[in-house]
Amino acid sequence: MINLANKDIRHTLSKFIVTAMGVGMLLGIVLIMIGVYRGMLDDARILLDDIAADLWVVQQHTLGPFAESSRLHQDIQDTLKSLDGIAQTAALTFQNIQLFNRQNQAVRVMAVGIDPLGEFDIIPRSRLMAGRVLQAQHYEMVVTDKTGFQLGEKIPLGRDTYTVVGVTQGTVSSGGEPLVYISLKDAQNMQFSYSNPRIRNDRARGQSTQVTQLVNTVVAKIRTGYRADEVAAQIQQWKHLTTYTHNQQTAILNENLIERASKQIGLFTAILVLVSGIIIGLIIYTMTLEKIKEISIMKLIGIPNRMVVQMIMQETLMLGAIAFVFGNLFAHLIYLQFPKRVVLLWSDSIVLFFVILLASFIASLFGVFKVMKADPASAIGG
Amino acid sequence: MKKSGIRVENLVKQFGEGDNAVHVITGASFEVEKGELVALIAPSGAGKSTLLMMIGCVLEPTAGKIWLGDTLVYDNAWSKADTRTLRREKIGFIFQAHYLIPFLNVIENVSLLPLTNKQSEQQSTQISSEFLNFLGLEDKLHSMPSDLSGGQNQRVAIARALATHPEIILADEPTAALDIERAHSVVKLLKDIAKSQEVAIIMVTHDERLLPYCDKILKIVAGKVDTIDNRNSQPEQSNLA
Repeated sequence: MINLANKDIRHTLSKFIVTAMGVGMLLGIVLIMIGVYRGMLDDARILLDDIAADLWVVQQHTLGPFAESSRLHQDIQDTLKSLDGIAQTAALTFQNIQLFNRQNQAVRVMAVGIDPLGEFDIIPRSRLMAGRVLQAQHYEMVVTDKTGFQLGEKIPLGRDTYTVVGVTQGTVSSGGEPLVYISLKDAQNMQFSYSNPRIRNDRARGQSTQVTQLVNTVVAKIRTGYRADEVAAQIQQWKHLTTYTHNQQTAILNENLIERASKQIGLFTAILVLVSGIIIGLIIYTMTLEKIKEISIMKLIGIPNRMVVQMIMQETLMLGAIAFVFGNLFAHLIYLQFPKRVVLLWSDSIVLFFVILLASFIASLFGVFKVMKADPASAIGG
Repeated sequence: MKKSGIRVENLVKQFGEGDNAVHVITGASFEVEKGELVALIAPSGAGKSTLLMMIGCVLEPTAGKIWLGDTLVYDNAWSKADTRTLRREKIGFIFQAHYLIPFLNVIENVSLLPLTNKQSEQQSTQISSEFLNFLGLEDKLHSMPSDLSGGQNQRVAIARALATHPEIILADEPTAALDIERAHSVVKLLKDIAKSQEVAIIMVTHDERLLPYCDKILKIVAGKVDTIDNRNSQPEQSNLA
């Protein structure tokens, strides 16, 4: 039997391909949107997973350090060590800063303050692409590749100049900003110390001297044989701190930082899928309208509806399938150009493929409806 | 003895009801025998297309009877609920324009209906090739309609109408889009087909110069059909191809 859909597509191949490419680009954007969502989830977990702490101790009644501002004394680190269940601790600061590259362009980063001589690795060795981790207490910086800074580069920051001693790969904050690591002392100076005029003004007001021995969180690893939630409950008894386990901290990130953004992206993606479906439907409807005279003739000479409907449906599904291939190609070609991480998963592509097939099938019903309504009598009488 | 191709008895078609009723055909009766080429003439709006659509099982009459060959296809109701099958099996259509399917080549256009009638691909291709050869298109089997002239396309349309061995052919102004020379050659071809394929052909035309080719003329007058025997009329020699 002659496959009418194949013949029709071959007859208008270039038009069909261009249409499929157009729809494909739209689907590519849908894939990118899903990739942005996946990237956001991944980004949120990178820092948590890299630090790999069992407990996060923060200012009482706060969700810090990522969801809310948190400040606590650095010596909490030493107090925690007195607990039986605690094996290692590290005091950390986090703050958003702006660096300037050689072209004097601003680069927004999140600076993580870590103790270079601390007990556990905050920067996993596996992430280090070049150079080394921090070793000095001042003016060294480890940057992530996305910042564009090179090993050995001098970066002015405030009144000081930092030297890039290491470059990591793919380290970003929960908000997707590239990370730089500096020493805890430098970070504390930057975040908590005031300028001389401010100090003089504070003294004139009778306010006490500034305290710079503060951090945003103290993280800890627990000893083997101890349960994180039990140790957390023990710390909680001190009344002036709040402690979260790794899972709780992940949940805070998901619920407070990612959930709304992911809902927004999810809604946007759903709208894009809907728009794609409507566009495919309109294209098929227009393609059917262009053939309505031929369809009337076919119905008049006795070609069964089934054959015509089959043609419309096959063309729709083929358009959906080719558009899907173009969409994937398009998405894979451009996803690296996006400033934030875009994660393209084949599983997402396959789900989208079936969604698009379903949308195409529903969209083809517009054309099928037109076919069923086509009047064979309109072929007679000119 | 000649066999009947089309027989119509007291055919009525009325559009609308009550005061708004329009009586287009008010009791048409006529017969076309197999092997005859018959012209259907009338001024515009007199009901030519309506009559053609009723005989073609496209438009349901208000009353009357229609026989296609020996089969009574309409007796105040269609004999088969699926009139499309009736059309596919018994009727060939030729239109003003060729209306070939633009994305199928010549042989595919012609063999589509036999294939739909569940003939094998080989049989369909063979039948289609035979008719296309008969119509002088043996070297155009794989051409697309867009690559053919108007006359060639109309011949492909005729081959398509013949491919299912229909009992009747309904031709709706098949020469309207052609110049007079091609029009004469197409009508002569239809006359030859009517004779050689033993098929009854009704051809709607406005061109009186083509009437001499026809065995009968059906003229719609005030909703009724007058049958005029035209066998003694001869086409002008200069027009014969």
